[in-house]
Amino acid sequence: MYDVVIIGAGPAGLSAAIACRESDLKVLVIDEFPKPGGRLLGQLHQEPNGEWWNGIKETQNLLDQAEKLHTEITCGVSAHHIEKTEHGYMIHTNIGVLDTTNLLIATGAAETAVPIPGWTLPGVMSIGAAQVMTNVHRVRVGNKGVVVGVNVLSAAIARELQIAGIELHSMALPISNPVTKNHANPRHVMDGLVRIAHLAPSAFLRFGSKFAKSAWVRNIAVNFYPKSGVKMWGMPIHIRKAIVQINGTEKVESVTMCDITSDGEIIAGSEKIIDVDFVCIAGGLYPLAELASVIGCPFQYVEELGGHIPIHNEQMETPLNGLYVAGNITGIESAKVARAQGTLAGYSIAKNIDKIQQAMKDVKSTRDSASIQFHPDIVEGRERIHRSFQTYEKAQ
Amino acid sequence: MDQTIICRCEEVSLQDIQNTAITYNCSAREVKLRTRAGMGYCGGRTCRPAVDAVLEAVTGEKAGHDIPMKVQPPVRPVSLAILGGKMR
Repeated sequence: MYDVVIIGAGPAGLSAAIACRESDLKVLVIDEFPKPGGRLLGQLHQEPNGEWWNGIKETQNLLDQAEKLHTEITCGVSAHHIEKTEHGYMIHTNIGVLDTTNLLIATGAAETAVPIPGWTLPGVMSIGAAQVMTNVHRVRVGNKGVVVGVNVLSAAIARELQIAGIELHSMALPISNPVTKNHANPRHVMDGLVRIAHLAPSAFLRFGSKFAKSAWVRNIAVNFYPKSGVKMWGMPIHIRKAIVQINGTEKVESVTMCDITSDGEIIAGSEKIIDVDFVCIAGGLYPLAELASVIGCPFQYVEELGGHIPIHNEQMETPLNGLYVAGNITGIESAKVARAQGTLAGYSIAKNIDKIQQAMKDVKSTRDSASIQFHPDIVEGRERIHRSFQTYEKAQ
Repeated sequence: MDQTIICRCEEVSLQDIQNTAITYNCSAREVKLRTRAGMGYCGGRTCRPAVDAVLEAVTGEKAGHDIPMKVQPPVRPVSLAILGGKMR
């Protein structure tokens, strides 16, 4: 019987474990990947202040702290079912059933698929898979590729692939269909681009970011977007071109690229074939909350946070006794926010009253100083979730 | 209509999902049961948001607060030995 089992050894799970071990709780951290660190392992980017964020080093820092506190971490373990019992939770895993009083679900996020014709061919991968292969497994994903989907995540990872010496032809939008709709809409994508513009050494994008608040300027930027794309780190980013199809018989051989109007409509006769041997699709992230759903935790759909979120309060408690959540399962944000949330969740579980207040402040200040905002209205989304927790509690 | 695959585990196309949603005017869960979209190896992790988006386009209704298509254990592939309690 554990005091707490933590599912997910990413930045949230590890920080929570450390905070719980400070109070000497009996803790077990499990993760289905062979190594601890979660998606933090793949991250490598330069912050606006010039400093490098190296996920492998950040993971090692957390592991060192965890080890000093004799924290039990077991990798290669996946939970496939959880039952609520009278005294806590029974977690069904591939190494047997784990009994615990408290449970922290820190399973992070999954990538949203971008279904376009040919996306099931070998050689097509999600941008996150390309990141893990490149930065964690050190495997070359291909010789020359294209990124389908222009957003905060794909721009950051495209840069990482470039740093690893992998050639990218360009980034472009997916062809419009009911699933890709926003990702295929140049105006919508421009709204996202101006939020990351400060990271890019491009006068054109900086121009956009300066006026990011006025829609008419963004419209001009979309309407007069250069045919050759805007270069970020020497790689063209197209928001007026879409990949209509991925071609190949046994594997990816090329993509068909088209010009599109500012509303995302194909301009007839503009098709071009571009030879590539891999394609990264990037549809953004959504909270991976299957396990919370299986236990019966109530959910709320919050677009600003990336999808269906287990209802929780500011201390990361859900309405189910002893069930906590932290990290991207509570909304798509940076690893730094996840880490701060993990610490907070750990102190909440340990009932470490002295430290909870400070940890709550740390989550907020980390969020305020984040260099990348996945959604401009994160704070409103957070407030909505906390309010629904209160409403739910009152109703019970 | 569109042959683009939405559920790759069960090879269900965009057209299949649109037709089912239009013909039966149904929920995400009913689409899942009728087409097998989301019932494959990955347990719907890949196509759940996509099926939702197709339904929103057909019915004009946004996803509700419940997780679409209902999540059922086991949420990960698991061997019969483990399910049978041999690993307890």
